[in-house]
Amino acid sequence: MGASADRSFAENLMSSLPILELRAVGKSYGANRVLKGIDLAVTRGEIVSLIGPSGSGKTTALRCMNFLEAYDEGEVWIKGQLLGYRSAGRSARDRDSEKSIAEVRRPVSMVFQQFNLWPHMSVLGNVAAPLVLSKKTGKADAHKQALAALTRVGLAEKADAYPASLSGGQQQRVGIARALAIEPEVMLLDEPTSALDPELVEEVLSVIRSLAQDGMTMVMVTHEMSFAAKISDHVVFMEAGQIVEAGPPEQIFGNTRTPRLQQFLKPWFDRSLTAATGVA
Amino acid sequence: MNSFLSLIPRFADAILVTLEVSLLAAFIGALGGFVLNALRLRFPRWLAAPYRVYVWLVRGTPYLSQLVIVYFGLPVIGITMTAVQATIVSLAFYSAAYFAEIFRAGWASIPRGHGEAARAFGISRWAAFRSIEMPQAIAFAIPLLANQTILVIKESAVASIITVPELTMTASDIVSSTYTYIAPYAMLIVCYWLLTQCIALAAQWAQVLIAPSRKTS
Amino acid sequence: MNPPDLLARCLGYLPQLLDGAITTLWLSAIAVACGFFAGIFIYMMSASKSRMLATAARVYVSLFRGTPVLAQLLVFYYVPSGLGWAIPGVVAAAVGLSMNTAAYQSQILGAGFRAIPRGQIEAAQTFNLTRRQALWHVEIPQVIALTLPALVSEMIDIVKASAVVSVIAVTDLMRVGQQLSSVSYRPLEVYTLAACFYLAITSLLSLAGRGIERRVARRT
Repeated sequence: MGASADRSFAENLMSSLPILELRAVGKSYGANRVLKGIDLAVTRGEIVSLIGPSGSGKTTALRCMNFLEAYDEGEVWIKGQLLGYRSAGRSARDRDSEKSIAEVRRPVSMVFQQFNLWPHMSVLGNVAAPLVLSKKTGKADAHKQALAALTRVGLAEKADAYPASLSGGQQQRVGIARALAIEPEVMLLDEPTSALDPELVEEVLSVIRSLAQDGMTMVMVTHEMSFAAKISDHVVFMEAGQIVEAGPPEQIFGNTRTPRLQQFLKPWFDRSLTAATGVA
Repeated sequence: MNSFLSLIPRFADAILVTLEVSLLAAFIGALGGFVLNALRLRFPRWLAAPYRVYVWLVRGTPYLSQLVIVYFGLPVIGITMTAVQATIVSLAFYSAAYFAEIFRAGWASIPRGHGEAARAFGISRWAAFRSIEMPQAIAFAIPLLANQTILVIKESAVASIITVPELTMTASDIVSSTYTYIAPYAMLIVCYWLLTQCIALAAQWAQVLIAPSRKTS
Repeated sequence: MNPPDLLARCLGYLPQLLDGAITTLWLSAIAVACGFFAGIFIYMMSASKSRMLATAARVYVSLFRGTPVLAQLLVFYYVPSGLGWAIPGVVAAAVGLSMNTAAYQSQILGAGFRAIPRGQIEAAQTFNLTRRQALWHVEIPQVIALTLPALVSEMIDIVKASAVVSVIAVTDLMRVGQQLSSVSYRPLEVYTLAACFYLAITSLLSLAGRGIERRVARRT
């Protein structure tokens, strides 16, 4: 009675709190500061796109979100837990244990630009491995869940094939299935279509689109501007390690405030981007 | 430390024996291997099979077993040698197979196009070989030849078993006569290590001198 | 030399030579197996961020590759006994051969490890595989597939190198040959037969290696 009312209140509260948050995150490689003061809040079910020129730090920012890169300043919070460090005033000595880091980033999974499939395992093996090894799922259950994920991306019939025999688009879809099978709450996508031949891009984008429609929270670094415009809830434009402008697609692609962003988007504007934004 | 240093004179002699035996065997083996490879190229139909059998026999059995056949076995059919002679002969016979394989690979590695290009410009066959193909073959072969020499030096330790007064025999001698174990064996390891490192370094210098543009690994 | 007599004598040598060959084989097998894991460990030391560990690994490899196996075995056999701790010959032989091959295998396997794209390790990290899981499930299977020819070559080398354990009182194939030849006064026959045993072992290993190579190539 009272308990269930409290629960739904708590759930409501939870769903409006950011599931993933970056506060003033910074990173340097030696003397080179690649990220400066990145602030980002992602709520459940939100699709965030990171766009910007090469070297703007967007991939680095993404990789800080699951601690593939160790950030030097600021904080990354996942579902209210600090990622990578034991306390907010961090130093290198304050680095969290591998076990704790794994715990905190468990709800987050990633899709890579170069797919990063494991070539000596079958497709099914690739998708099931994180379940078996990390989530300690039994082999039979893991295979069932893996098969379900493969069906979701339309590759169930390739379960026993090896990555080398698949096209780029198929390999990336396997990568997405692998990221899906662990039932993540946030998916990070690092330029998922940049390494693909143009004719293979659409099959991957349509899988991502359907995942978005099912309510998956996503943070995506991409160069596919029309795609970003159509499916994002929030777009972030980065340059030289900083967020230059951020907002909904209509603002970023239709009504930009910063000249630098206008300049960056000019090639896409020339391809009638405004029409795409109208559909969003 | 004192006992360690006092061993130096005896080990210095032993190093000389090791070097004499090894370098002589390696030289004969390299020569033999080169000739063998050249003959194989010249008379492929006659020599291809015997060559393969020879390489298979030599590389498929331990050097020790070849040494004992030469030193203990050959006298049965009338061929007797001193321990040193047996070592040099067997080591040369053993290493020739490896050298022959090195030369075989080296020869095959020379891009044919270079020589052809030279001849197209009117350079004589011999001049082309000398200035284009040979340096490349040598530069390719130097690290492998040096490595093989190092292997010969290491194999020479086996000769201690037939009491050739080289490094290992000397160390064992000292151990059994003085009942000290650490100093002689430490010295033994150091001596071999220095020998092999020096040859490796010498090979690197030689490579730079002969083919400066080629990167060493 | 009477052929039937020769044949009869050789058959007479066989049982003991076979015993010796078995000793040679399992000694080599132990060395290969221990050397594999030790080799991985040494490679990881050499690739570690700690300057000290990396240097220690380099010194280890340089020592074991730059000195003869026989000298190494003598050290492992006689130095402990000199310090009052007598080690059986087989143990010294196993330890010595293992440590020797570990140095070589660390180089062979290292090349395999370096050939694996970093992205695969990052994927393993992302999905929260522990370092050990990534090593065992992602890296090692590929390293073995990549380095199999070199590993088989090394196995053959170990079998040949093992011949010198006869010097530290291990009754391997070579030592049986020595015993038989001193009893029979027929060194040529005995040693040649022993050499044939070695030849058979190395040739079989070589064939097996090529067979496995072909099967692995078909799979990847």
